[in-house]
Amino acid sequence: MSSVLQLKNVHKAFSGVPALAGVDAALSENSYVSLLGPSGSGKTTLLRVIAGFEQPDGGEILFAGQRIDGVPPHERGIGFVFQNFALFPHLSVAQNIAFGLENRALDPVADTKAVRAKVRDMVGLVGLTGLEDRAVTQISGGQKQRVALARTLVTEPSMVLLDEPLGALDANLRTRMRGELRTIRERCGVTFLHVTGSETEALAMGDTVLVLDGGRIAQSADAGTLYSRPASADVARFLNCYNIFPGAISGDAFESPVGRLALGGARQTSGKPAYAIRYDRVAIRPRDAAAAGDEVRIEASFVASEYSGAAINSFFTLDDGRVFEVETHLSHAAPEAFEEKARYALVWKREDALVFD
Amino acid sequence: MTMAATSHDTSVETAAHSTRKQPDRTAFLLAPGVLWMLLFLVAPILMMVYVSFWTQTTFKIEPTLTLKSWVAFFSSETYLGALWTTIRIWLIVLVSTLLVGYPAALFVGLFVKNKTLSTALLVLCVIPFWTSFLIRVLAWRPMLGKEGAINMILMKIGVITQPIEVLLFSELSVIIGMTQIYCVFMVGPIAFMLGRIEPSVIEAAQDLGAGFWRIFRTIILPLSMPGVVVGAIFVSVMVLGEFATSAALSGRKVNLLGNIIVTQVGSLKWAFAAVAGVVLTILMGAVVAALLRVVDLRKEL
Repeated sequence: MSSVLQLKNVHKAFSGVPALAGVDAALSENSYVSLLGPSGSGKTTLLRVIAGFEQPDGGEILFAGQRIDGVPPHERGIGFVFQNFALFPHLSVAQNIAFGLENRALDPVADTKAVRAKVRDMVGLVGLTGLEDRAVTQISGGQKQRVALARTLVTEPSMVLLDEPLGALDANLRTRMRGELRTIRERCGVTFLHVTGSETEALAMGDTVLVLDGGRIAQSADAGTLYSRPASADVARFLNCYNIFPGAISGDAFESPVGRLALGGARQTSGKPAYAIRYDRVAIRPRDAAAAGDEVRIEASFVASEYSGAAINSFFTLDDGRVFEVETHLSHAAPEAFEEKARYALVWKREDALVFD
Repeated sequence: MTMAATSHDTSVETAAHSTRKQPDRTAFLLAPGVLWMLLFLVAPILMMVYVSFWTQTTFKIEPTLTLKSWVAFFSSETYLGALWTTIRIWLIVLVSTLLVGYPAALFVGLFVKNKTLSTALLVLCVIPFWTSFLIRVLAWRPMLGKEGAINMILMKIGVITQPIEVLLFSELSVIIGMTQIYCVFMVGPIAFMLGRIEPSVIEAAQDLGAGFWRIFRTIILPLSMPGVVVGAIFVSVMVLGEFATSAALSGRKVNLLGNIIVTQVGSLKWAFAAVAGVVLTILMGAVVAALLRVVDLRKEL
């Protein structure tokens, strides 16, 4: 697959404070890419630089093989779906969708019939049939989201940037819109770059997930790889499913604040040593149970647990005060009752841990 | 509010209770305003209409009803001329305040991204109001006069050899003066409406491929129309009732309805003044009603 968008060493600073510190990325054609980053990581800035609302201080942006840094936003042909939708408040649903076709500087569609036909198709595609003549102030959040998307897609961009598109919707609608966004994208065959701060959203939506950290792309991988093999302790932290220990490797063990953890699993170079174990790879055993030879064992006191239907998350305090989380899937075992403040053994297989050095 | 109900049936009860209570409170809150308006606006207007039908003689006025003043007003070229001048100057000033005010408002309300700076700029627009109305009007005389600043500068740089006399004591000077004084009432409401347009809405239009003029015509202008209408109402009401600017800057050559009223009241011709007053009031009412038809302000604001 060829890439539709390439970013080469893109820099941007706001009054001296760097927001993007050398972003390199390539987005392939006809794919769903999610961009995950904590707030303040520069994700919105990156999106605005790609759309042309902000000028980068340095670096190159190539869109369909052409350099576009310096091209004004209305000549880029990149769609942008705003977080707050940014619908035109004085126009109806149909007029909002027709806006780009009728008013674009390059190749406007003057034929009213052609515009109407395209708008009708798009209204059908995003599921807004029957609402064409409504004012955009009189429709629900999910419908506004669809208008915003339809308004962009009808101009047939080869890439659409979505800035936290589901952030303004309630949880139920968010889950439903996830599926719909993917279906709509597949039908249009364009590349979506979906910015989000939610790791579940990023993993669920993206064919490829880019992780942005401190103004740089920290990892670019498919969801499965990202989840099981994060490239650094920081990426693992955003994924919100790893217990992470700082420390250093010495010999055949990792020296952590809670003791020596025997090595045995995958080791990755990331520049910052850390030891990470996934929440759902840890077993909780009574304190007197012995660990097998290929296992790592630490002790901790139980604090509380949180039931979420299919799984239960138990929280422990380690000897250094750190919180340790264990996720137990209830399809494997019935929930056990743990005693508050009692000590338990937390055990995992050596090979399940990720070690960064 | 007693609306915070704890259970279902008490909520019905309190709702009924509060609707019963509502009219009392409404009347109580409205009373001072209504009373004031009745005493000092509605009553004087009714009195003015009544007096316009009184019999006017040279030295006194009697409450004997007659149409004589009305007939005199509408058969006199002076009064009809004043009515026409009023309408003409109002239209010209309305257009010129819009032409000068809209770009200024566009700059302050939309292009200046910093809210503090845009507020500061709006305050700058109001600085002329820190001096009295008469000083503002009279300050135009040394500017526009035969030996005023503009003529002197133009003659110095050789654009003209004779001073332009039409600058002062003419309709032009009245229009220049009024535009300057009332422009800020156009800038304010328009800048306010423009400031309420979300930047992302304009960015969205850009992203969809529209250039600046397209965005201006299809997005910015329609969204600022309520501001234009409110500004136009401010300017219209003030210009239609004007008399001081024309008296000071036209050398009594431009007579507006306002000037007629002042002169008639000065010579104790109350009935004539009342007729002119009624005509002016009807004119203003018609103008405001027409402007309100342009935009549904209740919906837009």
